[in-house]
Amino acid sequence: MPARTVPPDRAAVALRVLGVTALVGVVATVWLGLFVTPPDEFMGNLVRLLYVHPPMAWVAFLAYGVASLASLLYLWPRTRAEHFDRVAGASAEVGVVFTGLTLVSGSIWGRPTWGAWWVWDPLLTTTALLFVLYLGYLALRRVPGEFHVRARRSAIGALIAFIDVPIVYLSVEWWRSLHQAPTVLNPTTHKTYVHGSMAWTLLLGFVSFTLVYIWLMAHRYRLAKLQDREDSEGLEVALAERRAEAVAG
Amino acid sequence: MLRDAALVAGKDLRIELRSRVGLNQIGPFAIAVLLLFGLALGPDRQVLAPASAGLFWVAVLLSTVLAVQRSYAIESADAARDGLRLSGLDPAGIFLGKTGAVAAQLLVLEAALSLGVALLYGAHLSGALVLVGACVTGTLGLAAVGTLYGVVASGLRIRETLLPLLFLPVVAPVLLAATKAWDEALAGTPGRAGGWLDVLVVFAVLYVAIGIVAFGPLLEDG
Amino acid sequence: MNGYVEAGYVVVLGTLSIYGATLVTRERAARRRVGAATSVAQPGVPTEPQVARGDAPVVNHGGVEDEERGSGP
Repeated sequence: MPARTVPPDRAAVALRVLGVTALVGVVATVWLGLFVTPPDEFMGNLVRLLYVHPPMAWVAFLAYGVASLASLLYLWPRTRAEHFDRVAGASAEVGVVFTGLTLVSGSIWGRPTWGAWWVWDPLLTTTALLFVLYLGYLALRRVPGEFHVRARRSAIGALIAFIDVPIVYLSVEWWRSLHQAPTVLNPTTHKTYVHGSMAWTLLLGFVSFTLVYIWLMAHRYRLAKLQDREDSEGLEVALAERRAEAVAG
Repeated sequence: MLRDAALVAGKDLRIELRSRVGLNQIGPFAIAVLLLFGLALGPDRQVLAPASAGLFWVAVLLSTVLAVQRSYAIESADAARDGLRLSGLDPAGIFLGKTGAVAAQLLVLEAALSLGVALLYGAHLSGALVLVGACVTGTLGLAAVGTLYGVVASGLRIRETLLPLLFLPVVAPVLLAATKAWDEALAGTPGRAGGWLDVLVVFAVLYVAIGIVAFGPLLEDG
Repeated sequence: MNGYVEAGYVVVLGTLSIYGATLVTRERAARRRVGAATSVAQPGVPTEPQVARGDAPVVNHGGVEDEERGSGP
């Protein structure tokens, strides 16, 4: 994905192919999900949202995992490299988008299903907290400083925050289990009766949106690289100007 | 490391004893929070009493933010943070010292808040062992995370808004577990709080460990 | 009931499209600025049309405003 050692043309082409594939996948998912697959026995047409909402959640947590791993790799002396910091940042930004979409799609699905825009479901609650953790991490990344200082600070910040997520999930799950009354449609169970074309569509949804994530990540990464280059070039230009002034004046 | 920790903790606590900012500002702030909750949730004790544990711990969490900000404010006031860095003190020791000092102040605050909660919300303080246990372990975790994020956000102009944003979500499990532990104690079933206390212990141990390792690099970068 | 399904799809697809569009737009703008700042022409850097045209088929909106950002992601 990072076009460093690959000649730019090939990387651009690969990215284009990825983009087209992702788009095709998403379109197919939408078409299958909205039109081809049958309504569910219990949920009716609402099941169609389940081709979208779980993939959002999956990507949200995938992005979080990638950001955490990249941060770890940046901190580890043997694997320290600038691109890991950028990957972490890119993944976090894309991740926060998907996390927000997880919450919104979950909410939209939940309203007609459970009658409420929000329920304190362990997964949803953890996702909500992940959302805020992402935002904090992104805010931390924006604090100005020299590249390495920023990167190390952000990486540590990432690990402090993200190591928390399993603890949050387990705590909330336990908290909820103390109050859980068995319901006909358990909010935490999305695997009701998914079979046949529904299963394939769901799988396609997962794959397609993962590709979308990778495509968005790649572009966000490249943008970050360009911005860093812009900054360092800006610095060089400023230094050159100052030197020229010093010589002239 | 421990010697340095004791040094730093002693210094921080001495400063607090002299300046009494904790006593004069953070304490009243916490009480104000309790009062405001009371106003928000209405005078009915049937509503307030069951919520006592949660409200208590929310007040503690918010107070922790202030305590941590104060902990770092006393450094940068005299450019003493650079002094800390250059002092040759073991960073892990500095971390433990600051965490300890913040924790100690919070524990004193929590004692006062317990009385506040009993008085204002009609909470019946039973299961003292669990109450204290949750306070000690929970506070340790809070202080550790706060001190860690505090050094990250200190010396920056946007510190005041960044610290709460970073800190509060991460300590959500502490809020949850400590509240549940207190709920069990207040309800007269302290035996059921065991699991929650475990969560608090794990959290505290985890973040103290992270702090010991990560504080040095973070201190350098500032 | 069906309104919910449509709303969900629109929100998800719409948000991702807009986000993708802003990314590509900002990338193009940054590439332009970097290209202008360097006095030495970089061999192998893809010219804009090559990069932008095909690899963002999702993008049908033009002229999305770049948001002001600090350095870095």
